[in-house]
Amino acid sequence: MLEVKDLVTAYGPVLALDGVSLSATAGRVTAVLGANGAGKTTLLRTISGLVRPKAGTVMLNGEDVTRSQVETMVHKGMAHVPEGRGLIAELTVEENLRLGGLFRRAKDGDSELARIYDLFPPLKERATRSAHTLSGGERQMLVVGRALLAHPKLLLLDEPSLGLAPRVVSQIFSLVRDLVDSTGLAVLLVEQNAKSALSIADTGVVLNLGRVVATDDAATLAADEGLRHAYLGF
Amino acid sequence: MQQFFDATLSGITNGVVFAAFALCLVLIFRATRIINFGQGAQAMVTTYLALKLIQNDVPYALAFVAALAAGFLLGAFVERVIVRPVETGPEINAVIVTLGIFIALVALAAIIFGNDLAAFPAAFSLAGLEVGGSTIALRPNDLFTIGAVLVAMAVLLGLFRFTSLGLRMRASAFNQEVAKLLGVKVGQMLTLGWALAGLFGSLAGLLIAAGTPIFPSYMDAVVIFAFVAAVLGGLDSFLGAVVGGLVLGLTSAYVSSYVGSELVTLAALAILMVVLLLKPGGLFSSSVARRV
Repeated sequence: MLEVKDLVTAYGPVLALDGVSLSATAGRVTAVLGANGAGKTTLLRTISGLVRPKAGTVMLNGEDVTRSQVETMVHKGMAHVPEGRGLIAELTVEENLRLGGLFRRAKDGDSELARIYDLFPPLKERATRSAHTLSGGERQMLVVGRALLAHPKLLLLDEPSLGLAPRVVSQIFSLVRDLVDSTGLAVLLVEQNAKSALSIADTGVVLNLGRVVATDDAATLAADEGLRHAYLGF
Repeated sequence: MQQFFDATLSGITNGVVFAAFALCLVLIFRATRIINFGQGAQAMVTTYLALKLIQNDVPYALAFVAALAAGFLLGAFVERVIVRPVETGPEINAVIVTLGIFIALVALAAIIFGNDLAAFPAAFSLAGLEVGGSTIALRPNDLFTIGAVLVAMAVLLGLFRFTSLGLRMRASAFNQEVAKLLGVKVGQMLTLGWALAGLFGSLAGLLIAAGTPIFPSYMDAVVIFAFVAAVLGGLDSFLGAVVGGLVLGLTSAYVSSYVGSELVTLAALAILMVVLLLKPGGLFSSSVARRV
């Protein structure tokens, strides 16, 4: 599904990614873990084209998308939910959702919306409200729902647990797991909350200062006490 | 009473034109966070184009539509060719570039069309309507002005509220990065926004010119009033621009009628100062919500 090879991204003289390689496969959750500044967000932004890499390649379904325009990625089956949720606060909940499916130019807008409202009932009640009136958990539902309207094959999630109560985090995470199991979606999940992320992930990738320090089964990583103490903070 | 009535009517007519022009400043400010100081000059150029067409026996309506189309294209050209290359730098760069557009267009117009006053004909009669035996300060051409602006506003509102194109434009204006991630071609939306602003500016320029002499800097006063109107309304609110335009139009008419026309500009700036002192974000700004 997604193959990232030797990705190097720099902000001026500072290397944010220093040769990162990883992959994400259909029907699996790949968690990217690491402390603040490890390069997790930069990794997702480079994959979706918001940031241009200095070197390396990003392959999506066998196609080289390293230099593709951001706007075209969603057509290729990639949906990126950016850090800090990325809802458009000035638009209503329903307008935010509609945007998610607009690029497909399909006529099934209403039935598609109904599908998302079934998945996230609180959004239906607030459909005509401005998006900035939503709670943190509802905002996360909104951006995930909006991403799903694009019918992605690969979903990039950046810190979905940020600022959410633990109960809401586990709700969101189990929902992501269900989606992956039922639809064969590939998820690349970036998280600082390593413990929760590993509990739903199949594979874990640990980043430190822009380099991959470990890639393994989620369960194996979670059991590695040395690694946990050194990089994952639990 | 008659004086108040007349001042109100002419205030409304001027107010809708200020509102239309304020709208095009707001359109661009919302999308790119810059004020296009070249907007008035762009409108002036298209008004001259209409005048030349009319002088060459092109029907008025056709010349009018041609000028609007030219305003649309000129707006798109300015964004795509002149503003886009400096957009990645600090916002002040783009603002200064728009000042350059203003200076260049006014100078070019003076070279091509001359600095002399040129009479621009009105679409309809300029004789005041008769109501109950007395003539009021509302002329058929004023009705056309008000009607044209209302129609244009309704079309703009419909576009933004009810079409997917409008939704994509709003998304691009509020959050370019998220819009791109959702597959919106943000660059095209920006160009379209500037083009629409160009069209609206042209409309305002044509309407204010009707029945008056024009010259290369005839739009300067309108730009000042519309700018004050837009700031009054908070710079990013369509409703604010319309209300601001009407407030400015009415105030200038009352001041000119009761105090003296030489104080009109001063009054506009006084209103601006008072509003900025009491409510620095403008009357209708959504910037509080934006920070959430």
